[in-house]
Amino acid sequence: MSCNEDLRLQAYFDGELDASAVLEVEQHLKGCTDCATLLADLEATRQLIRQDAPYHRASTALQESIVASLDREEGVQTPSPSRLSFSKRFLSGAASGAGATALAAALAFFLYLPQADPLAGDLMNAHLRSLMSDHLIDVVSSDRHTVKPWFAGHTDVSPPAADFVKEGYKLIGGRADYVDGHRAAVVVYRHGLHVINVFAWAASTEKLPGEVTRKGYHIVCWKGADLDYCAVSDTGMDELLDLVRLIKQQ
Amino acid sequence: MTDRRRRFEAQALPHLDAAYNLARWLARPPLDADDIVQDAMLRAYRAFDSVRGEDVKPWLLTIVRNCFLTEVGQRKRKQDVPLPADSETELADPALIAGDPDPEATIIQMDTHRELNDMLAALPSEFREVLVLREMEELSYSEIAQITGAPIGTVMSRLARARALLKKNWHLSAEGSRHVMQ
Repeated sequence: MSCNEDLRLQAYFDGELDASAVLEVEQHLKGCTDCATLLADLEATRQLIRQDAPYHRASTALQESIVASLDREEGVQTPSPSRLSFSKRFLSGAASGAGATALAAALAFFLYLPQADPLAGDLMNAHLRSLMSDHLIDVVSSDRHTVKPWFAGHTDVSPPAADFVKEGYKLIGGRADYVDGHRAAVVVYRHGLHVINVFAWAASTEKLPGEVTRKGYHIVCWKGADLDYCAVSDTGMDELLDLVRLIKQQ
Repeated sequence: MTDRRRRFEAQALPHLDAAYNLARWLARPPLDADDIVQDAMLRAYRAFDSVRGEDVKPWLLTIVRNCFLTEVGQRKRKQDVPLPADSETELADPALIAGDPDPEATIIQMDTHRELNDMLAALPSEFREVLVLREMEELSYSEIAQITGAPIGTVMSRLARARALLKKNWHLSAEGSRHVMQ
């Protein structure tokens, strides 16, 4: 049913091949209608599942019951403040979230539909892609005087690239990327075990998604003077907002 | 709040929906996805000091899957009553279906949701789980291998067969409904 060539094509479709194998498959696809058909089928099946299959989310009752069991495990007798912040964080809409007030104070950000936003999806994909392949960093440096000039030569924009190691956000490098039609410069930070990608591109009139959480990844977007920014990570929303605040203040 | 609790809330709890979605697609009534996830999250919390940040999601889903298998085993021993067939499941929450002002379009869309839901539910569970992990959770082959305990080659061939089977069933059903209409 599935010969090796089919499995290789599937691996190509799933983004599991290295660059040289990708080139081979793409060459092969030009001349093989069977494989082109199979590729279209794979895409159609994926679209079908992603658009029409139910995605089951945990109910508020389940969330609260889990938090209560963690409280018991910790030996907490009274309802702890963490319980409130947790519930708020996970009843996430674009405007909710514990950090929303802090962010609103610091930034002019733009609320936008969190679910149907292609930019948010594209940002998340770019973030995941950067973690999965060896394409996290093009220029490795914790020195802003290295990263920022590198952008000038490799991307359309040159966002500030400050190190916030004292605050827990270590600058680890920069990258050129492509998000939702924008050629983006990406400043990469490490916070604990988490990678934070801060995308920046030339300011457009496009609405930005504000604060969004998707499948456990947080996205925070804001408009700067002449650049649009989006920070993406699986670290906590509050931690991400902390970094955004630092970038904004520099 | 302890440090472990803080890390758990920051790193594991964001994957709660993924945990629940997997549990719902694995567990059929009378097994309860809420119970499975509740159990899994507590176990995860107790063992959380052993996990590294990047690996939390597949690690957590592995625990969910193990809790599911434990539940299945216990129920079999307790009652020796066969679990209902996979297809005997109700359609998901109507709230999951996007609102549409056109009633006819809404009905067609609901039919699509129901039909696809039933079709996925009717797949053998080893096919269903790789589809959920790859297409809904967007996990890599190696993460899926870790969660299911199967070699990567097996993950790849299961995924290929699951996709082909779903595509075939979907086309058959589309042809079927055309015949009915004629």
